[in-house]
Amino acid sequence: MISSVDEQQSLEKTRQRVFMALFIALAIGLHTFEALLPNPLPWFRIGLANILALTALSIYGLRAMWVLSLSRIFIGSLLIGNLFGPGFLLSLCGGVGACLLMSGGALLLQRGIGLVGLSILGASGHVCGQLFIASLVVVQHQSIWLLLPAFLLFALVSGVLNGLAADLLVDYLLEHPAFAACRKGFGYHHAKG
Amino acid sequence: MALNSLWARITKIDRLLMLLLIMLAVASLWLSLGRAVGRSVLIYEGETLAFTAPLSQDRHIELQGPLGVTQVEISAGKLRIISSPCQRKICIGMGEIHRSGDLLACVPNRVVVRIEGEEGDYDLLSR
Repeated sequence: MISSVDEQQSLEKTRQRVFMALFIALAIGLHTFEALLPNPLPWFRIGLANILALTALSIYGLRAMWVLSLSRIFIGSLLIGNLFGPGFLLSLCGGVGACLLMSGGALLLQRGIGLVGLSILGASGHVCGQLFIASLVVVQHQSIWLLLPAFLLFALVSGVLNGLAADLLVDYLLEHPAFAACRKGFGYHHAKG
Repeated sequence: MALNSLWARITKIDRLLMLLLIMLAVASLWLSLGRAVGRSVLIYEGETLAFTAPLSQDRHIELQGPLGVTQVEISAGKLRIISSPCQRKICIGMGEIHRSGDLLACVPNRVVVRIEGEEGDYDLLSR
């Protein structure tokens, strides 16, 4: 049915757009769900939406990851109702920090790094971005950085869990014919055929 | 899903990064705990610096705020808030402070007490 290379390419582009829209929707769902969870430790978020960012990064690349993260933050904030408020600002700086570190890791380490490594980079970036903006705007005092050890350990655990989930998700998705033209960008590939 | 197959998904560089992160967390913890013992106490009522006192001398201080009187005590080189007219008494629950940079505050009553340290210890430096 697909007769030319051009048609195949435009088909893949369309597929990418559709799936990115679905990924973003999922990420927003996870983001808002997490915001609603009762939590004895405020600000200690697991960051489930990052699983989708990692999936986008692995299947579609760096730009897709940025698109997914930023869209998730803006639309999620819109839905929760604190767009351009302090909570949104924290989320945005965290997200940008996470994407920066993930981009750095992806570009510098390329195939050597896996989704778990990228995930803990993302989690640490998120933590540092949030503490940075909190120290400047919310608390206006450098003593907020005293929370860094606790946040970093939490980032490690949640990063590993998110990374494993993303790795499993990518392997699972790539088995489906809709993703036949895509390749897993990072980590170990399980020889399928 | 066996734990082994999950561990196999983590590359060598991933494991290195995990180790680095643990080390970073421990290092930042060590740094935060190893701060110098403070020298003097700065007491703010609202926005203004009410007065300073050395941490070495035992002292009992009463501070006036919009809600009432907050009592602060310096004893044995440590500073703590004894009583305050606030509702939640979080300031009292914070306990004692003695390191430079440490801070106790009763926010409803607008009282802040801070420990200041040596010459070379500054929170912010602008040139």
